[in-house]
Amino acid sequence: MGELASVAVAGVHTTEQGDLSERTQSDVWWEAVRGACEDAGLTAGDIDGLVGEGPQGVPGLRETMPAAGLAEQLGQPVRFHARSSVGAASTASGLNLAAYAVSHGLAEVVVIASAVAGKSAGYASANRDVAVAHMSKLSGPYEYVYGTTRVSDYALLAMRHMYEYGTTSQQLADIAVSQRLGATLHPASVHGHRGELSAAEVMSSRMVADPLHLLDCCSINQGGGAIIVTRASDVAAIGRHVPVVLLGYGEGHSHIDANAVKSMTTFPAARSAADTAFDMAGLSRDEIDVAGVGDHFTIGVLIGLEDAGFCPKGEGGSFVEKGGTAIGGRLPTNTSGGFLSFSHAGQCGIFTLIEVVEQLRHEAGPRQVDDAGLGFISGVGGVQQAHSALILGRA
Amino acid sequence: MSDYRRFLPEGIPAAHMPFWESLKEHAVQVQRCDRCATFRYIPKDICPKCHSDLASWTAISGRGEVYTYTIVRRAPTPAYQEDVPYVLAHVTMEEGFRMAARLTGTDSERVRIGMPVQIAYEDVTPEWTLFIFQPVG
Repeated sequence: MGELASVAVAGVHTTEQGDLSERTQSDVWWEAVRGACEDAGLTAGDIDGLVGEGPQGVPGLRETMPAAGLAEQLGQPVRFHARSSVGAASTASGLNLAAYAVSHGLAEVVVIASAVAGKSAGYASANRDVAVAHMSKLSGPYEYVYGTTRVSDYALLAMRHMYEYGTTSQQLADIAVSQRLGATLHPASVHGHRGELSAAEVMSSRMVADPLHLLDCCSINQGGGAIIVTRASDVAAIGRHVPVVLLGYGEGHSHIDANAVKSMTTFPAARSAADTAFDMAGLSRDEIDVAGVGDHFTIGVLIGLEDAGFCPKGEGGSFVEKGGTAIGGRLPTNTSGGFLSFSHAGQCGIFTLIEVVEQLRHEAGPRQVDDAGLGFISGVGGVQQAHSALILGRA
Repeated sequence: MSDYRRFLPEGIPAAHMPFWESLKEHAVQVQRCDRCATFRYIPKDICPKCHSDLASWTAISGRGEVYTYTIVRRAPTPAYQEDVPYVLAHVTMEEGFRMAARLTGTDSERVRIGMPVQIAYEDVTPEWTLFIFQPVG
């Protein structure tokens, strides 16, 4: 702790989410970043650090040296750049890198942003078929030859979890139901406008890969989001928001090939990431008020809560049952709707982070968790292959 | 030219090719550590247990039990969609490690965790053979 806690999230911004195929990545990136600067009471000219991707433009070195491209746009030097590679957990990991830069005087105002737009042919496509086909090859040639998808990759975990622990489709559905309710209370969510869900609707939605139904799966969409990180004392001095400070951080990386891990229901790297973060923060699980847990699929939340130590292994089903992760439940989790119902675009962990920040600021409006003071994030890379854990606190 | 329209392995390092060549022979071989006898699947540069870089390609029984599975109903591409519903299974082999492949030769609704299966082969193109699992007996 100590050093890290001197650093705070100063500003956040979420752009429109959905089909942004008529816009460009750089347009959405700047909208997100300008919005986050304004939210922080800063301007783009204050930025002197970048974590992750910058605004793209014409092809070339902008993709490999994004901070140089950003500096050119700003007309002033950028003093720090770093990039984490933990899949959808990269934003959570990025906050740690930004905190390192700020606490060591390498930069004062660091931006972390994600933007996905345009007619990209890859996973960033607004076209679901294109994105699904692209992502299917992430399992690698020893598996994708058989016709794997991201859904089937996670379905294997769910099937085994049901076998070992008696977890039910109804329990998984309860997660989707809780998160959809949150999404209906967030105007920027991609699925909130569809209204609340019942567990029966989740379980009667089309089976994609047994036992996962369509409504157990995340959205596929485009959109942007950004956060600004600076000294907590500066956030307090500006006075626009309560500083949300970084109290703990940890990572765990374990495997690439699914057959290389001992168990497909227990991922020790998630546990060690969380343990590192809780040890650093000097906090215990029962002090956490609100959480963000990687939810590409409902089963990810259930396994994530178990592996992060919020309930014993095998008891995730009873933990999430009947609204355990809902606002007002035992541990409100993914309260904006998460990847399932809010947005799953680009480095989508940015949205998990933004929601926890808004909760800890007490600015979550109708989604607000009462007296939220401490937040936990378990970012997941790939199919539980890498994890990063963050503990954030309302200063 | 093959009219096979499903994904073929791409980017396989030369050091992995003995595995794929063994599939073409319909006699699967897996890397096994020369020092501690740990099987390495998929092939690896060093042993995850003892870190030795020495290994020998070793025949395995090809038999195992379903560890987990799924029935794919929404496939990644139109070519795979022609196959739905199909079963993907992770199987714990008799030698103690897991392998993943398509499980065929049974009604997908009859697949169960713990079900005994054995490796079979599909020559999908003149260059590539895949292994699959089939129920024992």
